[in-house]
Amino acid sequence: MTGTALADPEFSPEVVSLLIPQRSLEAGEQFRFHFNMTKCIGCRSCEVACNEQNGNPANIHWRRVGEIEGGVYPLTERHYLSMGCNHCLDADCLKGCPVDAYTKDPLTGIVLHSADACIGCQYCVWNCPYSVPQFNEERGVVGKCDMCHGRLTDGLEPACVNACPEAAIEIEIVNMASWREDYAAAESPGMPAASQTLSTTRITLPQRSAAKLERVDGGRVRPEHAHLSLVFMTALMQCAAGALILAATFHSASPLLLVFLLGITTFALNISIFHLGRPAYAWRALKMWRRSWLSREVLLFGLFFGALTASTAAACWNAYHPGALILLDLRLLLWSAVTLGLAGVTASAFIYLVAARPAWNMVHTPVDFVLSAGLLGATALPVLLHLAAWAQNSLLHRSSAPSPGQSLARVTAAVTFLWLGNQALRIVRLNRSPLFEGRASASLLNTVDLRAVLITAFAGIVSVPILSLNEKPGAALAMSALGILLTRYLFFVTVVPLNMALTFVRAEQR
Amino acid sequence: MNLVRKVRRMMGVDTRQVEYAFARDPQHGHISQSRIAEKWVKTTCGYCSVGCGMLVGVKDGKAVAVRGNPEHPVNRGKLCPKGLSEHHILSSPGRARLPLLRKNGILVPVCWDEALTTMIARIQDIQQRSGNDALGVVGTGQLLTEEFYTLGKLVQLGFKTRNYDGNTTLCMASAVSGYKLSFGSDGPPGCYDDMEMADVVILIGANIADNHPILCQRLERNKNRTLIVVDPRVTKTAMMADLHLPVKPRSDIALLNGIAHVIIRDGLANEDYIARHTSGYVQFAASVTAFTPKYVSELTGLAPETIVDVAQIYARSKAGFIGWTMGVNHSTQGAVTVAAINNLAMITGNIGRAGSAPFSITGQCNAMGTRESGFASSLPGYRKFESEADRQELAELWNLNPETIPTARGLAYPDIIEAAVAGKVKALWFIATNPAVSFPNYSLLEQALRNVEFLVVQDGFHPTPTSDFAHLVLPAAIWGEKEGTYTNSERRVSKVNRIVEPPGEAKSDFDIFMDLADRLGVREALFPGWSSTADAYLEWQRISKGRLCDYSDLTWERMESEGGLQWGGPRLYAEGIFPTPDGRGRLIPVPWEPFVEQPCDEYGFVLNTGRTVEHWHTRTKTAQVEILDKMVPNAWLEMNPTDAKRLKLKPHDRVTIASRRGEVSNLELRITGIIAPGQVFMPFHFSETNSNRVTLGAFDPISREPNFKQCAVKVQRTVAH
Repeated sequence: MTGTALADPEFSPEVVSLLIPQRSLEAGEQFRFHFNMTKCIGCRSCEVACNEQNGNPANIHWRRVGEIEGGVYPLTERHYLSMGCNHCLDADCLKGCPVDAYTKDPLTGIVLHSADACIGCQYCVWNCPYSVPQFNEERGVVGKCDMCHGRLTDGLEPACVNACPEAAIEIEIVNMASWREDYAAAESPGMPAASQTLSTTRITLPQRSAAKLERVDGGRVRPEHAHLSLVFMTALMQCAAGALILAATFHSASPLLLVFLLGITTFALNISIFHLGRPAYAWRALKMWRRSWLSREVLLFGLFFGALTASTAAACWNAYHPGALILLDLRLLLWSAVTLGLAGVTASAFIYLVAARPAWNMVHTPVDFVLSAGLLGATALPVLLHLAAWAQNSLLHRSSAPSPGQSLARVTAAVTFLWLGNQALRIVRLNRSPLFEGRASASLLNTVDLRAVLITAFAGIVSVPILSLNEKPGAALAMSALGILLTRYLFFVTVVPLNMALTFVRAEQR
Repeated sequence: MNLVRKVRRMMGVDTRQVEYAFARDPQHGHISQSRIAEKWVKTTCGYCSVGCGMLVGVKDGKAVAVRGNPEHPVNRGKLCPKGLSEHHILSSPGRARLPLLRKNGILVPVCWDEALTTMIARIQDIQQRSGNDALGVVGTGQLLTEEFYTLGKLVQLGFKTRNYDGNTTLCMASAVSGYKLSFGSDGPPGCYDDMEMADVVILIGANIADNHPILCQRLERNKNRTLIVVDPRVTKTAMMADLHLPVKPRSDIALLNGIAHVIIRDGLANEDYIARHTSGYVQFAASVTAFTPKYVSELTGLAPETIVDVAQIYARSKAGFIGWTMGVNHSTQGAVTVAAINNLAMITGNIGRAGSAPFSITGQCNAMGTRESGFASSLPGYRKFESEADRQELAELWNLNPETIPTARGLAYPDIIEAAVAGKVKALWFIATNPAVSFPNYSLLEQALRNVEFLVVQDGFHPTPTSDFAHLVLPAAIWGEKEGTYTNSERRVSKVNRIVEPPGEAKSDFDIFMDLADRLGVREALFPGWSSTADAYLEWQRISKGRLCDYSDLTWERMESEGGLQWGGPRLYAEGIFPTPDGRGRLIPVPWEPFVEQPCDEYGFVLNTGRTVEHWHTRTKTAQVEILDKMVPNAWLEMNPTDAKRLKLKPHDRVTIASRRGEVSNLELRITGIIAPGQVFMPFHFSETNSNRVTLGAFDPISREPNFKQCAVKVQRTVAH
């Protein structure tokens, strides 16, 4: 693209920069950033220029500068990274988005994000290995570098390119097929491996570098956002699904129990939308079910809700008009709800299997979600049945369904054992992770405050089978809920995302 | 905010689409709508002395955007992160808006009339009791040249105190004194273009990548240069170098003498230039005979071969440039170190030619303006207090009795502070400076601030750590709110324009000076018929005519159209004729001395102080710009990994450094090979962790500049309270 290829004829820029391509893109080509590390002096003009260009608040940086360093004094080497979006060939932000807010511009290859389409689920934030998309709390939507698409259209270089006093950043053309073959020039110390998403940014590294360059912010690991609405939503949905499965298995799915489970599900689904920056548009999340695990979770939990509602209605109808429905229909409804619940819990776990967040991207995550469903379900079911029995006897003057009793307590004990084993193994494997981010998660779990949370959670879970076998269902439920909510909280706060190297001293982003 | 809007925000129906919309600026293209201006005002940046030309966008009386001026010869459209966000300071919440007078211990708003009446009454009362020199005035490098010129006359001829100096003594005084020693006058001989034209560039104690980043593009464009950076720390600038010389702290004089030794020994000196244009060569050559590569190697820690190499590279260059900043100036030997640099330039003839210069890279936006016009360390126009002819000439130009012009300079800044502690200076007036952070050895300064009977702080910002002590706070307009000129490092005089009105009741420093002159009854005598800075400039042009810093041809109109004009042309001393009595540059023997406070068993580290690109001086401005503040919100301490291991410290640990004078706690520890074993470094910008609580109150005997760069400290983990 020259100043004219994409340019609006009514607009004539005052300076045509040589730092943008001087010819049009051909088929199979796209634009990319070239960052010349040997020229960058770490002045951070690009970062400020980016925020001025895009009118972003000070805590959001679509372009960020990082420091890498190595060697022994006086042969120390220090270099800088200045990165916007890498406009990847296989962009994970785009694949995960449940609302199709991302497009890879067919003309330029720029990964564009639409703030209008975005519902602020932040799944792209989790997916990007460079932590490029950033959630703007005051807007409720995500935003990211668009290579100043609008300026390029006018034949002007992006704001960062324009601002750099050393001409260290430029826009160039890349042939996508040949880049797929060889993207070694995208790799740099301080950058996550380019293989995951095929970053297109070309980085010129210093020649003859004797030192092993490493990020300087490695010692700076901070807890992530707790996402409390997700802590409660996932736990409650797991509780409902788990209790339903066990109720169906033990033939104790009374109409009142189903009413209770429906209540829990309704509540959980309602709080989940407050995780979104734009709750009003939660429904849009269904859109990309063919591609996004987030869409699938929403879809499956939605269907679960429907099946559960139908089961509940059918069971109630059946209770007042016995024989009006054949038992098979009721069972079919119930087991379809069970299946959808289990599928929903699994889909929900798959959301967290993102390569950009190594502490989540482990088999332990789906195992944990399923076992938590079992544990919460097994401890909630006796309590709910008790409550149902009490309600039925005192309010409805009817006899209640049989309680599974001791056999459920044995299930509880077995699930507890597996749950603890899964968690313990996860921590051991994080400690030994070959990835810095995995070990960093383990070290976060070992910080004073979070270790106390972890110990409390484990102590709670250990007490569950004891309480359960000793017929203290209320206490058992309280302890399993406490243990699982705390563990889920830790799951969110101790994840260390992949990211580019940043600076040593800086304010927290949130 | 009404409930409906709140709910719409919470539900995400309203995502502030309007605030975040984009639009097309007719000149600058697609951009956030919030940055689209109705008009663009051409001006010059108000941070450092690189002197970048910029355009500030204004909408509805508010500055909304900044762009580098692509036509300006200094920066060609580029700005550093501070310049790029400079418009934010104009509307920042920390601005001083009302005059404040301390009554019953607290500062309360008063009207200008009461503020200035009180100021005059208190100062006159003190001067009547204790003499005119009981008033000490400390200015700045931040005002307009027109304001410096006005202030100098007001203080010296109106208030009649000689005890007037600027905070420029904290940064550039050594360069001024060094130039005077070597060339007979202040005035940086080179220009920025020299950095592009030189084939050898040596930077000594100059971390321009952090402090003058826009100058780096000169080195970037200069494809043929060999860049040699002399710095004990592996700075960002050192990383740009072809050859980094990691010298021991304050061994620069030894290195410079060693280079001279090799040049003379190997017959590389420009004997023709020496013979025709310099004096004192024989004594100078004798003074460097002891500085053999072996001896210099011991002092600097560099290999003897490296010293020989550097000497040969410099001496054989077609055009050799030596630039320096605070690493040289912030020293008890700063002035003579500058002379040692000038010696090298003169014995190789590297002065006055394209690419060849010894060149001080100045700090504040208009430190040069005050040096030339200021009436503090010299009379306006680089005239000398001690010269009767100069005084006579000025008196005639001013139509005043020559007797009224002081015959010697008064106390320099550090001596004013000491006199305040001693009770000799009883009233202090600080203008656009923040000594509570920037002055060395804080505890002594605090004594001075508490000791004086009347303390006036005139500043664009309040509260500042200094204005907290004030009896009277005068709210001043800042960059962007007044019209005049700044002169940059390369003697380029650029126009500064009014972009917006000052906030609240803040007034320009010029208007405050005029008002005070009125009340003193000296306005007609000193400032006849003046109403604006334009009048001050016209008189200054007349006063400087025929001097080295001759502004007489540099009209405001020409500056506007030509993007700044250099007095003296691109380079001084092209003919090899210097403003000394014999017209020759003086070669000055410079002895090497170890720095004052050497590390010992108890205080085992040498503390080096400096700056970071995101902040400016004491952060009165940059702490108000959210993006800069968030980029670097706190100070840090750099320590070599071997020392950290010995002290069992980890990255991000909070540490306390202590010297014999005080301590600074809660510094974020950065363990890094940037810094040598045995040395630590911290930035001086942060009042919360003020490096000047530990720095040394030792001063250059000639320039009176403080030795900020080396003092002995110990480091330990901060104990949580």
